[in-house]
Amino acid sequence: MSGPRRRRRGTPDRGLALLAALALGLYLVFLVLPLLLSLRSSFTNENPLRATNDFIGLRNYTEMAGDDQLRASLKVTLLLAFGVTVAANALGVGFAILLNRTSLSYRVMRTVAFLPQVLSGVIVGFVWQTILTQNGVLNTALMTVGILDEPYPWLGSPNAALLCIGVVVAWVLSGFTTVVYLAALQSIPLELHDMASLDGVRGSQRFRTVTWPMIAPGTTISVTISLITVLKLYDVIAVLTAGGPANSTQSTALYIVKLAFTSDRVGYASAVAMLLLALSALVALTVTGALRRREVSL
Amino acid sequence: MTTVAPSGGTRERTRLASGIGAVPPARTGTRSTARPRRFGGRLRVLVAAAVTLLFVAPIYLMLVNAFKPQDDILANPIAPPWPPTLENITQALTRPDNLIPLGLRNSLIVAVVSVALLVPLGSAFSFYISRKQGRTKAAILVAFAAGLMIPPQVTLLPTIQILTWLGLDHSYPGLILANLGGGYLSFAVFVYVGFMRSVPDEIIQAARLDGASGLRVWWQIVMPLVRPATATVVIFLTLWIWNDFLNPLFILGPLQGQTITTGLYLTIGQYSVDYGQLFGIMFLAGILPVIGYLTVQKQFVAGLTSGATK
Repeated sequence: MSGPRRRRRGTPDRGLALLAALALGLYLVFLVLPLLLSLRSSFTNENPLRATNDFIGLRNYTEMAGDDQLRASLKVTLLLAFGVTVAANALGVGFAILLNRTSLSYRVMRTVAFLPQVLSGVIVGFVWQTILTQNGVLNTALMTVGILDEPYPWLGSPNAALLCIGVVVAWVLSGFTTVVYLAALQSIPLELHDMASLDGVRGSQRFRTVTWPMIAPGTTISVTISLITVLKLYDVIAVLTAGGPANSTQSTALYIVKLAFTSDRVGYASAVAMLLLALSALVALTVTGALRRREVSL
Repeated sequence: MTTVAPSGGTRERTRLASGIGAVPPARTGTRSTARPRRFGGRLRVLVAAAVTLLFVAPIYLMLVNAFKPQDDILANPIAPPWPPTLENITQALTRPDNLIPLGLRNSLIVAVVSVALLVPLGSAFSFYISRKQGRTKAAILVAFAAGLMIPPQVTLLPTIQILTWLGLDHSYPGLILANLGGGYLSFAVFVYVGFMRSVPDEIIQAARLDGASGLRVWWQIVMPLVRPATATVVIFLTLWIWNDFLNPLFILGPLQGQTITTGLYLTIGQYSVDYGQLFGIMFLAGILPVIGYLTVQKQFVAGLTSGATK
């Protein structure tokens, strides 16, 4: 900074500094402070029904080790995160390659393909419920064709319900991954494809040697966001199964809300929330880090 | 549902020019339909159309059944609505609990006020911080970026406690205040900082030499230059706040009325609603975001993909 301007700073900048400070203050009060309060609460037996709350050290954390519901919820969360990420990204790459043309019909299809992403999880959940419920569209269709003799309880049997939620979430996310992979495909220089053609590289070999490495940045974004979305997912599961049957679709995010608002075990819910936070951070750092390094090496 | 993290500055501007429907620059990867290929044009369109149709089948169901009487929905949910009826829509609109008009009004108020405040807060903060140097700046930006991945379940209860201390629990100002400070602000800052980097220093210094204050430089010079960032921030934050579920459900609570999202959940979850009316309600709840998306589609896709390419 040069002399004359430095002298004139101070007052003229005060308005901007105030506005920036206000933003920082809001962030501190409504994100950083809640995080700290949650961490503090995780060392207490906080319960809104009790008058006083005591610090109980690490007891919430030791309780987590023996909590079967928590273990089951982690399994659900990780299965969903892994399965949905793989499915949504595979679908996205395939869809993007299929739709990567410029004519009008393809543009219309691309527009339509993104629609699920625009609707709220609640609407998505209810639409799919009309499809998957006992007398829903899927059972009717399968019985008409003759594949099923009687309606199958898609949302009423544990494994099928988890699979259904995976399908629905992958459906929503693949609208997003498709758009990301389309952008990545469009950034590949055509020269590369021309050179590959001259060398006689075609089909799956071209995909492996040219397309796949070139869309690596898209993969990084797509995979990271798919994982984070599933880790904090709440609305779709709440509408479709509310965690049932028999907690078989209760993700850790749902378990936390149930502990805090239904069981009133705020302290323990906070400890589980810390675990989910650590898991999210771990995933974001390791997976994204690995994918970024991969971008360079490919 | 999705959190997106665009980065960088200048590239977004060039990207913005080529949205989903625009013709891409000459030498990039979308092959024009005129180029000869092995996988023939006709067959390819048919396959693509079939896959797309299967993909949007749930949305098709939502659309056609909103215009069919209950009996037709149960008899054949896949059939087109012929002759179409507006019965479901009128029924949904005239429910005694006013679910749709109230829900749409509440959602609109929360989304518009939150975004109208998030834009100046996010951009002013980003402008201020992007003119600073050194470690504090880097640390603050990392802290803001981290806000993007924090699951809302972690901060929900303490946020309600803080609002209770402020006397704003179960109120719309409380919900809006919580929106201002959480991950949404992170997203706004993330997008703006990327764009601010590309604003030339010379322009700002020249304005400063003319005696313009920081506020004036920000509002009259920087804001017009980062309009694409504002478009991205406004579009995505409006959609996310509109579709938000957990915060309105627990911060507002059932007594304070509902947004369209939580109202839908509570009503359909608690009372048995016949299929006709259910589809009518869903149509009315979903139509605004869809119209919005179709209107600003180019900016939408540009914002979404700006971080996806190098």
